[in-house]
Amino acid sequence: MEWFYVKGILIQSGINLTAVLGLSLLTGFTGLFSFGHAGFMAVGGYAAVFAGMRLGLPYPLALLFGGLVAGIVSLPIGRLTLNLKGDYFCIATLGFGEAIRLILDNVQTFGGARGWPGIPVTTDLFNVAVVAIIGTFVMVRLVNSRHGRNMIAVREEELAARTVGIDAFKYKMLSLFISAMYAGVAGGLQGYYLGFLQPKMFSITKSTEFTIMVIFGGIGSITGTVFGTLLLTALPEVLRAFAIWRLVVYGAAVIFIMISRPEGLMGGKELSLAALRRLFGPRPKREVPS
Amino acid sequence: MVQFFQQLINGVSIGSVYSLMAVGYSLVYSIMNFSNFAHGGVIMVGSYIGFYLLTSAKVPFPAALLGAAAGAGVLAIIVERIAYSPLRHRSAPFLYFIISAMGASMFIENFVVATIGPTFKTYPAVFSRWPIEIGPFYIGRIDVLIFVSAAMCLLGLVYFIDRTKLGKAVQATSFNHRAASLMGVNTGFVITLVFAIGGLLAGIAGVLFGMKYTVYPQMGAITIKSFIAAVFGGLGSLPGAVIGSLLLGIIETLVSGYFSSQYRDLISFTLLIAVLIFRPIGLMGKVTEEKA
Amino acid sequence: MASTSLPKVVKLGWIGSLTGDQAVWGQCEFNTVKMLAEEVNASGGLLGAQIEVIGYDTRGDALEAVNAVRRLTSQDKAICIIGPNASGQAIPISSVLEEMKVPDIATVATNPKVTVVDGKVKPFNFRVCFIDPYQGAVAAGYAFDVLGFRRAAVLYDVADDYSQGLTEFFIQTFTEKGGQIVAKEAFKFGDTDFRPQLSKIKAANPDVIFMPYFFKEVALSANQARELGIRATLMGGDGWPSEVLLEMAADAVEGSYLVNHLDFDDPEVAEFKAAYEAKYGRKVELNGFLAHDAFAVFVDAVRRAGSFDPVAIRDAIETTSIKGITGTINIDPNTHNPEGKEAAIIKIEGGKYVFQQKYAP
Repeated sequence: MEWFYVKGILIQSGINLTAVLGLSLLTGFTGLFSFGHAGFMAVGGYAAVFAGMRLGLPYPLALLFGGLVAGIVSLPIGRLTLNLKGDYFCIATLGFGEAIRLILDNVQTFGGARGWPGIPVTTDLFNVAVVAIIGTFVMVRLVNSRHGRNMIAVREEELAARTVGIDAFKYKMLSLFISAMYAGVAGGLQGYYLGFLQPKMFSITKSTEFTIMVIFGGIGSITGTVFGTLLLTALPEVLRAFAIWRLVVYGAAVIFIMISRPEGLMGGKELSLAALRRLFGPRPKREVPS
Repeated sequence: MVQFFQQLINGVSIGSVYSLMAVGYSLVYSIMNFSNFAHGGVIMVGSYIGFYLLTSAKVPFPAALLGAAAGAGVLAIIVERIAYSPLRHRSAPFLYFIISAMGASMFIENFVVATIGPTFKTYPAVFSRWPIEIGPFYIGRIDVLIFVSAAMCLLGLVYFIDRTKLGKAVQATSFNHRAASLMGVNTGFVITLVFAIGGLLAGIAGVLFGMKYTVYPQMGAITIKSFIAAVFGGLGSLPGAVIGSLLLGIIETLVSGYFSSQYRDLISFTLLIAVLIFRPIGLMGKVTEEKA
Repeated sequence: MASTSLPKVVKLGWIGSLTGDQAVWGQCEFNTVKMLAEEVNASGGLLGAQIEVIGYDTRGDALEAVNAVRRLTSQDKAICIIGPNASGQAIPISSVLEEMKVPDIATVATNPKVTVVDGKVKPFNFRVCFIDPYQGAVAAGYAFDVLGFRRAAVLYDVADDYSQGLTEFFIQTFTEKGGQIVAKEAFKFGDTDFRPQLSKIKAANPDVIFMPYFFKEVALSANQARELGIRATLMGGDGWPSEVLLEMAADAVEGSYLVNHLDFDDPEVAEFKAAYEAKYGRKVELNGFLAHDAFAVFVDAVRRAGSFDPVAIRDAIETTSIKGITGTINIDPNTHNPEGKEAAIIKIEGGKYVFQQKYAP
């Protein structure tokens, strides 16, 4: 395999991972199923490119700006829809994603449906890796914090969580805000990688692909999200030899994984150094609680 | 005023198409409590079966309709057996069902692209395409057929569920799988039956959709509108699915006709979300009590 | 002789949609390129080498297109790439082409920015089709000057770049000439029902309705327009020509005009059509003709360059002047477009595409 080609897949994996990490928090840890995450990615992508090309912000700040705008957009959306349950929330996010795309299709100052060409190609493997690693690190810290545990409590038993004094709505909002920020940064990375943005890139298909990656990796596991994303980003490339049969095989693979490992790749477990040590190393001595 | 009523006719006709697809989808939802995204793929296959029965086998229209319904019913059962049943036996959360359904939908669509090919097919003219003219209004013949079919499917299903013994078993299963099976209901059979009926309805929807528009591998994508309509009408409620569909069709049409066709989906989605904010279970949704 | 140092097999890349919404057109392009390569190979090859065509599916996705081009240029060592069939994929691949120094000849990517951005020509991007502003201007000019229409309505796909491009330039030219746009209505890709928009258009009473989108939607909207009693002339662009349109809506599009790249009755065109149908058992779509010419540009460039070096091929493509089946292709080194390519105006008469005239605005 040529490095140049592999590098492309890795860059794409990093972009996807950034978006999927956010979605993993929302779906995997808070239990909300979003069909409109590509919409947040679009908002972030266009905002980041706007910041870089029209406001003259440097690349890292432009990415942050994109993430921030996507996060801010998520606030009113969340305020209105987070009280909806399951499929009702799902439909609301789907509507949001489509609405964003429609607005971008119509707004001619960003090129409308014809897209925004001529964006300087700035994203490379190095900065994607930096963003993805920071993103993963922050996310791991977050889900292991008190806030993360509260989010899981909301996912498992919302009513019970509320009775022990967890503000369920606040945690849902926080989770949505952070996941929208991640998606927004990913959108910026993508815009500066392709040198081109077009509303078509952020379709429902994209949102569902991200969700499949989260579930595939196993909900409630950051390790699973990382592996799931890397595997599923590479899979269509590996399947290139199948030509027109490629997506048939992809669909079959998704079903196969779901029915053979319905808890996902990692099944909610994390792969950590400690876990590896437990698995391979000598038994740790029981520590005396201090 | 003439234009307004013509637009209303257009809206009801578009809504009928959505409702024809939404009924089967909503039926499966009411039992399984998950959105069966493979429904669109089953509709598409039904449409192709009907097409080939009419053009290659040259059977009469009612036979083609039955054949398509039967074929789609069988496909729906196969999908259930392969993609859902193993999950059901492990009582996996609904998220996994949805992902499995998406995989199935992707598989079916691309299987058709790879085998039959991506080209659009035209149904032979079974009915005259020319509309009935009533005064200044134009009403399509197929539109009338679709409206009547949707209504008949709905009434038939409601009768089946409310008045027959099997229907009671379906209701019991819908209420609680475990309790139903303790009461002696063969829930496995009931679920197969529900998917079979959902498939039959998908087949009929596929043929009518194909006749009205055209047949192509991606036609299942239009079910996203039925999904929205069913949520809007109240998930799991069959009359809700139909009313939600009709309303969505009418809203879309009036928005296009009187506000902006460029921003149609933005406005109609905003309206739907506004409805959900005031009525979070949809227009006719079942009020489910939160587990304490 | 130099030929001893030349390889025995060279790889020609192709990218486009083999799956997804655009598969109808993508599969036709890929089939065309494969068929033509076999013909060249059977008659002695290209500079003595056999052409191996490697085609990758993009399913219409920009990231996939970039990955496919990365693979073609590095791992497969393709010397030139044909495709893709959409501007949204042709634009993002240019930075990869420039990095790897491999030329690409797009088939139907009609956005001006595929080859020129901010006044600068992209060194490795070429195309064989005419661009949106030209096509929009041809349609508007013909409607106004030749057919004498003054009131036009436009129905377009708001989610599609090609449709928006044609709409903009049609309206620009038509209003500059003094015509009036009486309605501008949109639908969204995936829609199958256009009666709400058409009812509105009907009330505006246009002479002509411009429908710049692809034939499935054209067939559906044309049928529905007639069902609603609309009698205005319909007009369209190169998304129209297909046998499938006539199957789906022969009565509704009778008397309509469209802008095309070629005259279907041209003997050379007919020969290619027959060969394709005999080989694949399907009708050839418009993209096949443009893929045919893109392939011809590639073969001609390699022969003139006398080398399989991608940069030498690129240099040769810049000075292309050949007669393709879609017209004379003179690549302009400043724009990388086939300049001066005339559009063919086609009228649908008696359920057939009847050539009217070559027309330039």
